[in-house]
Amino acid sequence: MTLQVSVGKRLKFFDLEVSFTCEDKDMLVMIGPSGGGKTTIVRMIAGLETPDEGRIVYGDEVWFDASRRINLPPRKRKVGYVFQDYTLFPHLSLYRNAAFAAVDKRDVDGLLTLFGIDHLRDRKPDKVSGGERQRCAICQALARRPRVMLLDEPFSALDVVTRRSLREELRAMKSGLSFPVVYVTHDIQEALFLADEILPIVEGKVDRDWMRRTITREPAPGTAPRAVREPRLSLVY
Amino acid sequence: MRKSIAVLAVLLFVVVTPLCAAAQEGLRVAVAANYIQAFKELAATFEKETGIKVEATYSSSGNLFSQINGGAPYDLFLSADELRPRRLQQSGEAGEPFVYARGRVILWSAKKDFCDAGDWREALKREGIKKIAMANPEIAPYGMAAKTALVKAGLWELLGPKIVNAQDIAQTFQYASTEAVDAGLCALSAGRSEKGKAGCFFEVNEAPDIVQAACILKKTGKREQAERFAGFLMSPEARKIREKYGYR
Amino acid sequence: MEWQAFYVTLKLAATATAVLMVVAAPIACVLAYARFPGKSLVEALLYLPMALPPTVLGFYFIMVLGPRGIAGRPWETLTGQPLLFTFTGIALASVLYSVPFAIQPMKAAFRKIDRRLLESASVLGLSPAAAFVRVVLPNSIGGIIAAAVLVFLHTIGAFGVLIMVGGSIPGVTKVASIAIYEAVEAMDYRAAHLMSLCFLPISYVFLLIANKLGEES
Repeated sequence: MTLQVSVGKRLKFFDLEVSFTCEDKDMLVMIGPSGGGKTTIVRMIAGLETPDEGRIVYGDEVWFDASRRINLPPRKRKVGYVFQDYTLFPHLSLYRNAAFAAVDKRDVDGLLTLFGIDHLRDRKPDKVSGGERQRCAICQALARRPRVMLLDEPFSALDVVTRRSLREELRAMKSGLSFPVVYVTHDIQEALFLADEILPIVEGKVDRDWMRRTITREPAPGTAPRAVREPRLSLVY
Repeated sequence: MRKSIAVLAVLLFVVVTPLCAAAQEGLRVAVAANYIQAFKELAATFEKETGIKVEATYSSSGNLFSQINGGAPYDLFLSADELRPRRLQQSGEAGEPFVYARGRVILWSAKKDFCDAGDWREALKREGIKKIAMANPEIAPYGMAAKTALVKAGLWELLGPKIVNAQDIAQTFQYASTEAVDAGLCALSAGRSEKGKAGCFFEVNEAPDIVQAACILKKTGKREQAERFAGFLMSPEARKIREKYGYR
Repeated sequence: MEWQAFYVTLKLAATATAVLMVVAAPIACVLAYARFPGKSLVEALLYLPMALPPTVLGFYFIMVLGPRGIAGRPWETLTGQPLLFTFTGIALASVLYSVPFAIQPMKAAFRKIDRRLLESASVLGLSPAAAFVRVVLPNSIGGIIAAAVLVFLHTIGAFGVLIMVGGSIPGVTKVASIAIYEAVEAMDYRAAHLMSLCFLPISYVFLLIANKLGEES
């Protein structure tokens, strides 16, 4: 099944207008300078923000349609969302967090083991490291058996080493997932490593040129480069 | 802005202080709340005749007694009972008490059809009577008199759960006139008042007279004026005035 | 020395606290999170009992709870019992009188909760009611207990309202604060003294609890 997103929204500094699709089992990575609207798009898919116009459809389910005034609340969309700053429930243990919305509690044990945090299941979030918290957040989202998985810069707040290993675990897991994954990052290497498709978002619009400009470090006509500091790559998009 | 507030404050002070001083000229009397109406006319009459100003504070006898015990600067105390002035005399704070009025208890209701019954006992025994107010017999002289009447008529036990205790005779009348209760054992003076005329009442003969006594406080700085006022209260002229309000 | 009056006081305080914990929580929740036109007007109205003198409140309660009042009349028709001068009546009056003291600490505690926790709950499939019970409440226990303590203390000290609305019926509506006042009026200073002394340990203990909670949060 396909996730189809086509939305528009008036934001503070610019107008957001994007259109894309993502198939089951594919990972679409949204990349671009910060403040460009990537998080807003992901929140709109989850239902935490409402577009001004457009449609969001998964398969045959209409989650949002401005013309027909359909706007399904987040809890009905069955989406998995891993936030940038881990928001596990502070009053619950890691196990309880992961099992919070689990469809089948038996899944939880497997997930915790898969992500290597089963030995920490009884600890509260404030007693484990940032990387362990994020792993738990991913378990929490997956336990729900979501239809679409959304990850918004899930590893940005972690140190480089943890980030790398989590990235690899995610890629290894990816093939086992049966749903579309939308991933947001500002890290080009991460994007290239994980993505089946890359969608650059700059100031609210899809800008396929941005990748080329950034990788070859060429200033865009009339704009100052705000790109990530990455070593020159021989890859050209 | 600040300057004008300061000026205002000073002006106020300057204006108010002489007013206060002037106010302190007259007699300060502590008066039992049930006697308000009668006292206002008595005080006005006295002032007209003698030029001596009279200022009253109205409250329950118990409250006034506490204040006086605590050193409140009254010249005279008009209580609703004899007990409190006698106590003050015993403790050396006041002179010999004298009776300045006798009150009566009535059963008053805001609903005129209440008085269709033969007498007050019949009225209380009727169906549909849910709550009756009376001044707390432990603390209010009118309440004690009312209780005596109820006990004598054999109604005290019967009415028990229906009785609402008001803090004083004024609150009793308030409950009755706002129809928070079906009827109240109030003072005759309340029944004769403007509001009281809107309802109806029975005289409660089984209740003893409420003997209201007064005393001059020893620490008064205006003994002569206080004694003049006391004399006035006992005069035939004063008697005529208070009879209008339901006192003997 | 009237033990019965203390029994009524504690019974009243316990009742008012229990009722308010249930009633005030959803209201505080709405005030903490929702935005709607006229919200500040509604909020000011709810906080009104805090700003009015108790005798004013008592006066209006008599009107409302009395046999002709908008609350008293239907009650009497339904149950055959009056609302005024009954324990139910003073319980109702105490609840209304303490509403602001329950709402404020709860609202503050709810607001402290990270919005993203609520968003996360929503995305994970919880209805607003379920999110309230499973996420908001467990994370605002401090505020809830503070509200309970405040309401309890406020109710055991209630006097002005109860003296107008209660009718001082021994064992039913005569609370300790009124018993003390009447003891003074009846010149029984020893009883007044004894009863007043009893208040001290009760109030002190609850204040200690409130302080401890304040430190912990």
